[in-house]
This record gives sequence, C-alpha cells and structure tokens, in this order.
Amino acid sequence: MRFSDILKMCLDSLRRRKGRTILTVLGVFIGCVSIIIMVSIGAGMKESQDQMIANMGDVTIIEVYSNGDSKLNDAAVESFRAITGVRAVMPKASLDGYSVEVSAGVNDRYHASWANVTGIDSSALEDMGYEILEGAYPQKGEVLVGQYFAYNFMDTIMPEGKNYVDRWVWDEETQSYSENTPDPFFNPLTTPVTLEMSSYEDQNADKYRQELKISGITKEDYGKGWETSEGVMMDIEDMRELLNKLNGTQNTKFDYSEIYVKAETIDDVVSVEEEIKNAGYNTYSMQSVREELAKQARQIELMLGGLGAISLLVAAIGITNTMTMSVSERTKEIGIMKALGCYVKDIRLLFLMEAGSIGLIGGVLGLLFSFLVSIGINLYSFGALGGGGITGEALLQAMFGGEGVARISVITPGLVLFALVFSLFVGVFSGYHPANKAVKVSALEAIRNE
Amino acid sequence: MLEQSEKPVISVRKLRKVYVMGQERVIALRNINLDIARGEVCCIFGTSGSGKSTLLNQLAGLEKPTHGVVRIGGVPISSLNENELAAFRQKHIGFVFQSYNLLPELTAGENVAMPLMFKGIPYETRMLEAKKMLCRVGLKDRIQHFPSQMSGGQQQRVGIARAFITRPEVVFADEPTGNLDSKTTKEVMHMIRDFAKRFHQTIVLVSHDPEMTEYADRIITLIDGEIVSDVHNEVKPEIDAGIVME
Repeated sequence: MRFSDILKMCLDSLRRRKGRTILTVLGVFIGCVSIIIMVSIGAGMKESQDQMIANMGDVTIIEVYSNGDSKLNDAAVESFRAITGVRAVMPKASLDGYSVEVSAGVNDRYHASWANVTGIDSSALEDMGYEILEGAYPQKGEVLVGQYFAYNFMDTIMPEGKNYVDRWVWDEETQSYSENTPDPFFNPLTTPVTLEMSSYEDQNADKYRQELKISGITKEDYGKGWETSEGVMMDIEDMRELLNKLNGTQNTKFDYSEIYVKAETIDDVVSVEEEIKNAGYNTYSMQSVREELAKQARQIELMLGGLGAISLLVAAIGITNTMTMSVSERTKEIGIMKALGCYVKDIRLLFLMEAGSIGLIGGVLGLLFSFLVSIGINLYSFGALGGGGITGEALLQAMFGGEGVARISVITPGLVLFALVFSLFVGVFSGYHPANKAVKVSALEAIRNE
Repeated sequence: MLEQSEKPVISVRKLRKVYVMGQERVIALRNINLDIARGEVCCIFGTSGSGKSTLLNQLAGLEKPTHGVVRIGGVPISSLNENELAAFRQKHIGFVFQSYNLLPELTAGENVAMPLMFKGIPYETRMLEAKKMLCRVGLKDRIQHFPSQMSGGQQQRVGIARAFITRPEVVFADEPTGNLDSKTTKEVMHMIRDFAKRFHQTIVLVSHDPEMTEYADRIITLIDGEIVSDVHNEVKPEIDAGIVME
C-alpha cells in the first residue's frame, strides 16, 4: 500500500469515530499542556537566574583568594598568567589598616569620611575589560574613580538633610528606582580631590594628604569589584609609594588581597578555575555559581516535568484503550483486508498511524494552548493584566522575552520540539500493543458470519 | 503468471483438517483429493457441518491444513507464510462473500479498487479500473455511493466487481447469494458465470442451496468431511444466454 492511502484510511477511521477520537485527543492535550507549562516554568526560572547573573557582571572573571597558606604575590600573578585560557590577571591590594577619607572642591567643601582605595595593575585594565565612562586609562601617578564615586560626598556647607545627593530615586509610577539619577555635587574629573590618610595604629597623628590625579571614571561592574562603583583605583606601584611616604620607609611590603583572573571565554572558566584551585588557592566565579543554580533549576524542571508526565501517562493508557477497542470492533474489517491481500505490515502501520495521529494532534493542540497559557502567565506577571493594559510590546516580551525581562514561563524551541516528538512517540508507543493485536486477526474473520 | 497448461489450477492432495476443541477432536476434513481445472465453475455442495466451509478455507489459504497440501497454479499455498500469502492473494485470488463485506467508510468505487490499493497502485489509476468494473456490473452511477446507501443486490455486485478487478485465476464465492432473493440471485450468479467464462477464470462456489448447483459445471458434494459425489453438470442454456467468450 502507498503511504498516502494508509494515511487516508487512518484519518477516515479517526473521523468515523469522531467522539471517541476527540476524547482521546483531549487526554493527550491535557497531558501535553501540563508538561509544557510545568517545564516552561522551570525554564523561566533559568531565564531569571541567567539575567540575575548577567546583572552581576563579567562572568569570565575568577576571583582568587589565599587559602591561608598560599601567597598572593607577583610570583602567583605570573603563574596565573601562564595558564592557557587566561586573558588577563589583575592583582588587587587594599589599604587595610588605614583610615582613608577624601575631600574635594574648593576649601575641601565636599567630604567623604570613608573611601575604598584599591591597588590595581593599571597595565592590565584594558585586557581585564574595565570600561571608562569618561576620561582615559591612567598614566603613572594617575588614578581612576568609580562611576558613583562622587555620590559618597557630603556638602559640608549645607545643613543636614540637604547635604547629600541620593542617587536611588524611587519612581512611584513604575514602582522601581528611576533611571534618571540626579547629578552629584561635582565632577571628579574637573574638581580637585584629596586623599586624607592615617594609620589606625596612630589615630592622633596628622593625616597624610595627597592630591589625586583622576584620569577617568570607570563603569560600574560588580564582577570586577565594588571599587568600580564607588572606589578609587590606584596603580599598585603608586600605592607602594604612597605607603612609603606615609610610613616614612623605603619599601613597604604587602601581599595582594586578591587576584582577579579573566578567562578568554566562558568555556575556559571551568578549566582555568580548576587549575588555580589545584595550585592551592580558593576561587570564586560567576560560572560556578551559575552551574550550581543551573543544576538546581534542572532538578526543579525535571520534578515539574515529572508531575506533568503523569497526566501524559494517563493519556497514553487512554490511547491504548481506544485503539484496543477500535481493533476489536474492526476485526471483520481487518479480516477482509487480509483476505483481499493486504500486507501485515500495512495493517500494523495503519493502526500505529492512528495511534500516532491521536498523540500528535493532541500534542499540536496542547502546544498551541500552552503558548496562550504561557503568554497569559507572563502578561499577568508583568502586571499587564492587572490594569497596566496589554501593549504590543508587553505581548512580544511575554512571548519572546527581552532585555531585562524575566518571564515566569519560557517555552523554548527545544521544548516545542520535545513536546511534538514526545506526544507522537506516546501515541505510537500506546498503539504498539493494539497494532500487534490487529496484525494477529485471522483472514478467516472475513467469512465468519455472525 | 501461473502455468497455462492443462494441469489443474487447484490441486488438493490428502487434505485433512482436525480442530481441537478442549478435550475433543473434531475431524472437519478426512482425506480430500481434488483437482479443479482452469475455467471450471465448481460448486462445493453440502449441508451445514459437512466441512464445505472448512474446505473453502483450506483452498483459499485462510487456514492451514492439519495434513496434506493445497496447490494453486502449482504453488503450495498451504505452506506459504503470511507475507507470501498476501502477495499471492493480490495476484491470483478473488473473494465474494455472503455478507458482501464491503468496508462501510469507503465508497463503492473505493471498495472495488481496494485490492489494487493493497498492490500499491495509484488512486487515479485504480479508480479508473474500478469504474470500468462497476460499469460491467451495471452500477456505473453508484461509484460515489457508500455501502449503506445500496441494496443487498447492489452491494453484492460491488463485491463481485471487487473480486474480479485483479483478474484473478481463482475466485472463491462463499454462499454469495445467501442473503439475496431469488431474482437477485439469478442476476448475481449470471454475472459471476459471465466473468468466469469471458476471462476463463475458475470459480469455487460453496453453498448448501441445491438451486445453486444449477449454475455450476461441476458439483462436488461433501458429507462429514468426505467427498461423496463429484459429478459434471450441464448448465441450462438459458443461464448462459448472452455470455460471450472474450
């Protein structure tokens, strides 16, 4: 028999038993919708996790700490640089043990009673991917400040309550922090800024003052450290000089507080991190956090999918039941076909196809309905259904996601493919036993007169 | 093609069929030896329980014999596997059933074309052939009708068209007029004889109705699973009136 003939017979037969077909398809439909929605919620969790991690900064950076025994020094920096897959290494030193204050403006009008000063390797800035918002990378003796550095200052002339610029402005309309932050009191690039330092051990000694030559402002990036947001970044050699002057010695010694290693690509992170760990250091990277989260998301996805699968299992039993009934009803028909020379394989294919069609139709309808449900859930989570109104943009974001949008339910192309293939498979699998039963019907049934 | 010589189309040797029902063994066919020549219209006659239906089942390969061999055109069909049997039936065997056995969801045309569909012949080609066959049985306007829209006589004519569409060497007819009135019976039997004579085909007719023997060239009578008589019958000329050998 030709495939087209078998297909036609299959569809004819499904149409003839319309009521039963619809009910059986409904079973698959429900099973499919429950699996797709459950898994899509798992995928939605993964999407928000990824978004969260992306907001946290550069995922190719590995932070290296001492495990207590290992030393974070220049030798360590060199050894990290030699690892394949490493793009750049950035040692960091902190001014632990010193009180640091900053003044700015004419007559030190603006004052910050605390500042994060971090020693860095200014030659590695570009390779590490530090972004400069304004100004340029620093030369010898120059420093960088973080994007929101100037917001740390108080205006010493203004009274309490008006002496401080809050860059977190709550917007009642969008229920989020406004993107239009007010300007700080001064621009650090054009205003004289002075560092005032003293050792904690010698609180009463005069503060050591040094003017900062600020060459640029870095873009905030938590992956590279908090100092890119609010701190001062100073070359390690400059820092050593500063400490020499402060302490009146010639060679102040300090180990690095941490070393940042940037891998070439995300895929290199795991191997590089592994090698550094083996060398006796503690490490932390977004990648390892991401993997841990992804593992949890996968587990939840599996659990939810398993719940959905139960209803599809019930649907599969429904298909088997329907097909078995159909075979029993059609024994005479099958007998006639056999007596007239129909091949056994064609009969098997016919019944498998009927079962498969029930599965596939249920799968396709379930998929379409799941899309609607998924869009509905997402719109609801955006608040669009509450009263915000359904805009075209919201609809698109509910369907395909978007920049900064975390959907609750995400139907991935893989899930679509899986749902279709799986529903077809469930159909064919459920039809296997009835089809074998059909094949065993004897041609003698044709002449049996009841 | 099967052999064209004067060798019998159907040859049965030492055929024995025993049904085991629980503790009981029922001997349906004892020891049948039979040759049927090409072009013969042969009636296997017997009362119910005589074993005539069992014999038909063996001859047509619907059931395996307990012992012995059935050859059609020299092919031992009693030892073919299911796949070979299907292929053999497509080419060499046609069936006319007592209860017509048309598939209810197919039109008259599609029912007639069904054996060609099993052979894998494209829809248009086989429907054209089916149309010709329906014309021959006088149902040219009924090609789009469903079995439920036709009378018993019409349905049986569709059944006959289906049995002959592949030009099989042998057509088995199991009480083909069992559900029909006497006028329709005459039409149907005339039609079957007409096909057989025109195309030199062999008909094996099974019946318990003595009237049916009138249409056969040869009457084989079965009692208790044994052939008790095997006689030639001169068909009345008015039965074959109008039949032309092609």
